[in-house]
Amino acid sequence: MTALHEPVTGRYVYVPHGGHEYRIYYEEAGDGIPLVCLHTAGTDAREWRHQLNDADITSHYRVIAFDMPRHGKSIPPVGFEREEYRLTATFYSEFVMAFCDALELERPVVMGSSMGGNICLHIALNFEEKIRALIAIEACDHSPGWYISWLEHPHVHGGEACATSVYGLMAPQSPDEYRWETWWYYAQGGPGIFKGDLYFYSVDHDFRKLNEKITGNVPLYLMTGVYDFACTPEMTEATAQKIKGAESIIMEEIGHFPMSENPVTFKRYLMPVLETIRGVGSGGGA
Amino acid sequence: MTTFDSRWMNSWMDTVNSDLVMPRIGRYFTAGFLLGIGDEEWVVSMQRGQIERITDNLSIETPWSFALRAPRESWEKFVQKIPPPMYNDIWAMAHPLHGRLRMDGDVKVLWQNIRALTWMLACMRQVGDREVVEQRATRV
Repeated sequence: MTALHEPVTGRYVYVPHGGHEYRIYYEEAGDGIPLVCLHTAGTDAREWRHQLNDADITSHYRVIAFDMPRHGKSIPPVGFEREEYRLTATFYSEFVMAFCDALELERPVVMGSSMGGNICLHIALNFEEKIRALIAIEACDHSPGWYISWLEHPHVHGGEACATSVYGLMAPQSPDEYRWETWWYYAQGGPGIFKGDLYFYSVDHDFRKLNEKITGNVPLYLMTGVYDFACTPEMTEATAQKIKGAESIIMEEIGHFPMSENPVTFKRYLMPVLETIRGVGSGGGA
Repeated sequence: MTTFDSRWMNSWMDTVNSDLVMPRIGRYFTAGFLLGIGDEEWVVSMQRGQIERITDNLSIETPWSFALRAPRESWEKFVQKIPPPMYNDIWAMAHPLHGRLRMDGDVKVLWQNIRALTWMLACMRQVGDREVVEQRATRV
């Protein structure tokens, strides 16, 4: 009997940044334009497993999804037990670029969801010369309301509370099995990590006065699902209108985790964007 | 339009109490909470993941720990088979951006039991099914 393997390879790479040597886990599949995928707050790169396994994507793109430090298989830096973890826009954007440098990626496309979408705006502002295009999923210039103390509280089960607090961000049309798989990822985050990520998502990420500073030299696609109550379609569209050259794409019957909650519906919207980025096709949207 | 009356509450209670998952995920959910539907208020008394009692006859004998209060229209959308965006979840409705539901009281109890609470509130979407079955049974 021949074992069934996926065409996905997992590896560890050391990423130097800020005096630490971060041991970072990443998965990759495919050949072509580097497509670096950023997971959402409090979880890890498993969210991208469907896209890593999609030959329509990997035949033209080298898809790479990594776990941020403290997430998934990327261990925290030495001394983490003495710190309160709070992700900042500066660290996050610099770390994404440090990861790309470590892998010697040449002008990658960066695609991220939620906090991974919001950070795309900072990357557009500060690292445009190193990027080919940005796909910001469920992103907008300001997403308040999620820095909640109950997400890290000794009287509350962190796994169940973090996971259930995001369950309703997914669309009722998304398949049960994928919604519960996403819930599962969230149930596995380290203590305080989801909340620490949300410090970036809801507090440090306030891009409202920075939108107009983006030059528009790098294509920027903002894709949002109609069931996203944290970053609504209206919030995404309002942000896109302020950013030179940005295109907003609103996705029906999907929520805050398109890549993991409903990869089939997400693909309908994503493929035209990927084709445009590689010079085929005429525009984004389904 | 959904009528949130005693009959509906009883049907929801039966749905929750016959659910096979609730006894496991609600094992430690023993508390009372208040459901505010428009001007009407009901207290739901939970005992180890089962609904022991639902009453709208509120007094000091019906204590509750946390409250979920929303306009009738919010609950009507929430209980639809496919709820519209922003109404598919209590946290969606309660999020500060939207303000379609208010959470009050000892919300720590809510967060401690959020998994079972979310599950049993989702059971509200099955209440209609049960009523249809009962009507058919009556006709036969």
